[in-house]
Amino acid sequence: MWLYDKFFEAVKKFKQLFSGGPVSNSDVSGTLAAEFLLIVSFCLVALLIRHVNILLSGIVVLILAIILVVNMPLIPKFKSEQEDSLNKMIFYGILTLAIIIVFIYWGSAYV
Amino acid sequence: MLFTQLSVLITAGVLIIIGLLAAIFIDNIIKKIIGIAFIEEGVNLFIIAIGYRPGGIVPIIMPNVDKAYYAANAAYPLPFGLVLTSIVIGASTLAVMLALAMVLYKKYGTLSTSVMLSGNSKGEGKDE
Amino acid sequence: MSELWIPLMVVIPLICALFVSALSRFNKTIKVIALVVAIVIPIIPFLSNYGLHIFGGFLPMTDSITGMVYHPSIVYSFGVLQKIFIVILGILAFLVLLIYINKYKKASGPYIFLLFMGIAAVTALLLTDDIFNMFVFFEILALAQVGIVAASSLDNNYEMALKYMILGAIGSPMILLGVGFLLAITGSVNITDIVAAIRMGKVAITSPVFLMSCGLIFFGWLYASGLPPFHTIKSGMYSKAEPHASALLQAFTVISMVSIILIMFRIYSAVPIFEALLVVFSAIAMILGVTMALTQTDYRRMIGFLAVGELGFIGLGIGLGTQFAITAGLFQAVNEIIITASLFIGFGAIAYLSGETDTRKMGGLIGYYPKIAILVLISGLAMAGVPPLNGFQSKLMLVQASLSCGYPELSLLAIIVSIATFVVFVKAFYTMFLRPKPNTLKISNKKAPKSMVFAMVVFLIIIIVLGFFPGIVTTGISQFAGGLL
Repeated sequence: MWLYDKFFEAVKKFKQLFSGGPVSNSDVSGTLAAEFLLIVSFCLVALLIRHVNILLSGIVVLILAIILVVNMPLIPKFKSEQEDSLNKMIFYGILTLAIIIVFIYWGSAYV
Repeated sequence: MLFTQLSVLITAGVLIIIGLLAAIFIDNIIKKIIGIAFIEEGVNLFIIAIGYRPGGIVPIIMPNVDKAYYAANAAYPLPFGLVLTSIVIGASTLAVMLALAMVLYKKYGTLSTSVMLSGNSKGEGKDE
Repeated sequence: MSELWIPLMVVIPLICALFVSALSRFNKTIKVIALVVAIVIPIIPFLSNYGLHIFGGFLPMTDSITGMVYHPSIVYSFGVLQKIFIVILGILAFLVLLIYINKYKKASGPYIFLLFMGIAAVTALLLTDDIFNMFVFFEILALAQVGIVAASSLDNNYEMALKYMILGAIGSPMILLGVGFLLAITGSVNITDIVAAIRMGKVAITSPVFLMSCGLIFFGWLYASGLPPFHTIKSGMYSKAEPHASALLQAFTVISMVSIILIMFRIYSAVPIFEALLVVFSAIAMILGVTMALTQTDYRRMIGFLAVGELGFIGLGIGLGTQFAITAGLFQAVNEIIITASLFIGFGAIAYLSGETDTRKMGGLIGYYPKIAILVLISGLAMAGVPPLNGFQSKLMLVQASLSCGYPELSLLAIIVSIATFVVFVKAFYTMFLRPKPNTLKISNKKAPKSMVFAMVVFLIIIIVLGFFPGIVTTGISQFAGGLL
């Protein structure tokens, strides 16, 4: 029942996403599909870690799945992080640059 | 002599980092653009520093220069050629950025990026 | 019939751009020049032989002591892959110019200048064998893209253009810094020389400077191709340009992505983390692109995000790194250019006719514009990978390639993302065309522009032909991929 309530709460929150205009069921179902796609596909990508270490990949996938399901209405959060604000874009751009440099410098021994 | 090259390289690194910090933290669009120009200049300085040679001569073959002396002492000319092109490109991107900033200043009456480039202020992104 | 045609592929659009800009007072003249050059561009690759063109006649020099070959000048190399992409780009450019010239009675010289500058820059990116030349044309391409968006008459286009420019001013110095690192350790900017230096062991693959250059050029590539974190700005650029221009913009993106990643692949394929980064970023692009597309209500933005998501498939194919996988990725690139252009033009026609871009306020358009509805439907199905269209062929190849490389999770991901693409498309098609028309929607009596329908029919023919006979493109690409490894 807990999981069901979680989904139901998430669907209710989608309404706030479509500001200014009627919310049709196709919009809500599209957002719900996006929600599931996010959870499933991020877990699938995390499975790639098994080429480094199988135990690590199992742990990461479990933790990721739990984190994603607990924070269930993910789409509003993702959408607010990916809006057209220049400051957010620059911040994520430079963060990515830092991540790439760190991975390429210290990570190349482990791939 | 290595000290000269090293200090130039460190200056280039500092310029790039200042530029990146300015791009994240400064709100005024003109200052942000100046900061971004810093990145460009830092990279140019870095490439010039690559071509540096202690005690080197200008890489142009003059009529009465000994070929062997020239080959042993001339600086590497390629980085300077590249930087010249890169400066021209940097100037043109800077001009386009400033022109667009001017247009937006006329529209919004402010230079704050969090107002005019936020994606959800009064004029922007109303179709979301 | 010689290699002299190779530089002309870049020079002709450049000269045409200058002429059109200079003669912009004479409306008829620039229209004629633009159309003639647009017809010529896809023909030149057929006239030319495969081979190298060395600028300035400075032939390669051999070092008598080490036996290394140095290229002192800029070299353009023209092969099967370049031919395929230039022909596709030429056809697209012709159709886009046709639509533009038909739409506006008074053609704007500077605007056509920007379109041709973009075409020339992309062609040079494909041909060049010089990493600094790549950077120069990368910048010219970015400026041309910004100009095209700034010239559109849509709301808030200047904001989007300035954001793209500022992000570009962070991304492109990073490429230059990477080029500088490569120059510092190899002493050359010619890619063949750099690759030779790496193969002969003059450069240590594990050296931090080499790895840093890989990371920096990779970051610049992310900006050029609009993979995350630049997917929001890229889709925004598509949605703020005029529909025919966004069809051309996405072709620019795909081709610059392919050409830069192939250059990087030649230099860095020995670095194992490079392929891992490529696969991870492509997977994230697929996920974020399609999820964002599912939540959009503006259909231009929706197609923009879908276009970014589809780019992930290309990166995936090249990141897997086998001959079959690279062939699949590049074939997907060819398909993507055609399908996305068709969708942008189709939805652009709807935007032009109905004057509405919000899917929530639309409906019932199939009764008014059945021709466009069917053309859009088929392109959308091709994008989602429905047999027997061309998207199906390339996606099937990608799934097979990732299975045979030992990454079944990536094949699963590709299938799930394809299904989600289908959902996006069905949702958009239902809300725009099939459900009852809302009373607020006013349908004007305008007829669908003939040039737009013509362009979509041409794309449809290419989609179906490539769907049934993928060998036309894949045999050439497969040869190229074999030579790359």
